[in-house]
Amino acid sequence: MPPIVEIQNYTWRYLHADVPALQDINLTIEEGSFVGVIGPNGSGKTTLAYSLNGLIPGQYQGIKEGTVKIAGTEVESYRPGELPQMVGVVFSDPEAQFTAMTVEDELVFGMENLGLSIPEIRERLEWVTDLTQLKPLLEKPPYEISGGQKQRVALAAVLAMMPRVMVLDEPTSMLDPMSRKRVFDVLARLKRESHNTIIVIEHNLENLVPLADRMILLHNSRMALSDGTEAFFRQVDTLTEAGVYPPGGIAFFHALMKHGAFAGELPLTLDAAVARLEGLMSHE
Amino acid sequence: MNDTQPAAYISVQHMSYSYPDGTQALRDIDLKIDRGEFIALIGQNGSGKTTLSKCLNGLYKPSSGEVIVDGLDTRSTSIVQMVRRVGYVFQNPDHQLFSANVWDEIAYGPRNIQLPADEVRARVEEAAAIVGLTSDDYEEHPFFLTKGMRQRVAIASILALQPHAIIVDEPTTGQDIPQSLEIMNFLQRLHDEQGHIIIIVTHDMPIVARYAKRVVAMGQGQVLADGPTAEVFANTPALAQTFVEPPQITQLAQRAAHLGFDPRTLSVDELVQQYLALHDR
Amino acid sequence: MNKTLLGYVPDRSPIYAIHPFVKLFFLLVVSLFPLFIAAPEWNFGLIIFVLLLMWYSRINMGIMRIYVPVAISMASIIFLAYVILGGYHPEYAQIGQLLAIRVYWERIRDAIVVYFRILPMIVMMVFFLNTSRERDVIVAMRTLRIPFVITYVFAMALRSAGMVIEDFGIVRQAEQARGFDTHGKSLPYRLRKYVMYMIPLFALSLRRAEEFSNALIARGFAFTGPASKIKRADFILTHYHFRRLDALLTAIIGLAFVALLVLRYGFGWFTLSRSVFLPWLETLLRHR
Repeated sequence: MPPIVEIQNYTWRYLHADVPALQDINLTIEEGSFVGVIGPNGSGKTTLAYSLNGLIPGQYQGIKEGTVKIAGTEVESYRPGELPQMVGVVFSDPEAQFTAMTVEDELVFGMENLGLSIPEIRERLEWVTDLTQLKPLLEKPPYEISGGQKQRVALAAVLAMMPRVMVLDEPTSMLDPMSRKRVFDVLARLKRESHNTIIVIEHNLENLVPLADRMILLHNSRMALSDGTEAFFRQVDTLTEAGVYPPGGIAFFHALMKHGAFAGELPLTLDAAVARLEGLMSHE
Repeated sequence: MNDTQPAAYISVQHMSYSYPDGTQALRDIDLKIDRGEFIALIGQNGSGKTTLSKCLNGLYKPSSGEVIVDGLDTRSTSIVQMVRRVGYVFQNPDHQLFSANVWDEIAYGPRNIQLPADEVRARVEEAAAIVGLTSDDYEEHPFFLTKGMRQRVAIASILALQPHAIIVDEPTTGQDIPQSLEIMNFLQRLHDEQGHIIIIVTHDMPIVARYAKRVVAMGQGQVLADGPTAEVFANTPALAQTFVEPPQITQLAQRAAHLGFDPRTLSVDELVQQYLALHDR
Repeated sequence: MNKTLLGYVPDRSPIYAIHPFVKLFFLLVVSLFPLFIAAPEWNFGLIIFVLLLMWYSRINMGIMRIYVPVAISMASIIFLAYVILGGYHPEYAQIGQLLAIRVYWERIRDAIVVYFRILPMIVMMVFFLNTSRERDVIVAMRTLRIPFVITYVFAMALRSAGMVIEDFGIVRQAEQARGFDTHGKSLPYRLRKYVMYMIPLFALSLRRAEEFSNALIARGFAFTGPASKIKRADFILTHYHFRRLDALLTAIIGLAFVALLVLRYGFGWFTLSRSVFLPWLETLLRHR
């Protein structure tokens, strides 16, 4: 079985740009993993996301080198309409990706595009509204729901198409903290209950880090770092240089490491951080 | 009340606000903002924080109660007079920018209040310099600039009116950390060097911890907590009502309080110092 | 209260019992009635009928107040246009003089006839827009088997209109925050300054357009090509059942139209010569 995502020596330059948006990307992602992609604005994260579902080179003009393969097939070799079934994308603007006039219509839209039958649609609708807790909102039009709710709708709408890979491009950047948490709760549930490969691009690391198996750092169009989450956050200098600020708990233990006061595993959640601190304090 | 106290620059008294369709957004708000404060207005979406911020410069007029800015009542003062005292930068610069080039964009405000041409030029250059725009940028069309640049142009266009108080709606949303810090740093410079009142309406708790001296936490249309940053973050019951959590480092300190850590810690460095001190015993 | 395209309808309204197709059919067919009716009293009756329907649907009749200024200004314009620029035949009867212009009865008559033909169409449009939700319009179009692309473009237009209206509110505030105030300024001034609103709206729409089309593609939508030809399940239609009442109403509307044509062309009803109101008015004006 080939890895679900296989990118080799990939370089992309938008048509009128001076420098490539992505350079020499080599990335392999196994099916079922949860990957976080971070990096400063302009480092190529969105370009990477769009490369995975065919928007690049399909909708954007530019020069491509290298290969991007989804499930063993090059992105450009898929017939029109096939790739969205394999790779689903959730964008960052809740307003712009809500294309229908009610929540239910939005969820059903993708399924109709795939040519599913009414019983199939009904079944998937049931599953997806349960997973994302959208049942009470089904009849509502977009102007009666909040940005956070719209993003959950977007997630559900993409999930309903049952893609093997879910790519989320800064899904919570325009949301308030509570909505952000709810979106990540859905992702956590998804991780537990299904085999989707999930790739999340984010600035807000607090919610992402506990879920990610693996983290990738993009900086100046290149992949600066790619590692399991805990090992990733040990690379303090590389992270700082790229302007990445880890969540408070990790940053604290980093600082302790610098002072030589800590040499264990970095805690990836607040609970783990508290536990570790308690552990340290009790070794007096 | 002490009569010799200088009057607050912005004084909100028993203010309530209801939307045209009748829903009440703000209930009996009392707030005093003095010259030179740096305040963060926090709260869930729908808590009223944005509505309150718009009442402070007259965009919304109170349904009852009053908002007095620099001695002027917002209900009876024209918006042109108000914006010279309280500037408001919207979250999305695209809502504000409409000129063909950066210079005209920034010059709009001063020209609108009919300042003489050399005064206009002086103000534009000053505002541009504060936000880090150079003369190379003056001819650019705002539509084609990056988001970060557009935001700076929007801020500069407000600064050109030289208001004493500046309200910025979500300065860091959608930005990466270095960009956020850049914007916050020049807001801080405006505050430290020129004594402006800075009010940020935000969700970004680490930024609040780092820059704001005072936090006003809103929930259900009311002020639930109002005080120095560390104090508000330590006020767990009030914060729980706002559905807002303090930054992770503060939460860590709070949960480790039983080990000797100060629950009012706002930064990683502070916590590290405490740890080292505890271990030197 | 549920929001419709132009207003609100209470949760308990008879209008929900009707399939959206019937509402659209009513609008399209009954709007044609005035074209065949010249006698103003009949058109006036049609207006009253539609207003009664609105009242029965439990629409807040207070909203009609908004349209009164429109109705009055329209009447003035039509009246003046006809009186000054109306046609002339030698048998026209002059009933007065307005400065240098001769006021002919026939021109006044024509103005009244035209006005009462336009008014019912407007009232019906208001009725439709006040009782239809966006979804209803889409359901009606799909029921008529209009190609999905057209239906969807229409739906997107509705969605975009909503976003633009929301944006407009924010842009107005944002410009006020820069000291832009049209309060108490003249109309020409306001019109000139409108560009300050238009440019941000355009900028926002342009930026959104890219994300919008990306979102469509990510949902597997295709405007052309083999992927656009798949048979769609039209899930939205499963919520609406075309019942006997709907069939009955459709039939009634259709038959009413046929009856109208028969009466008009077969028996000469609704014509000017058969009007009761017009001769009465003519007598009133000519023999003061």
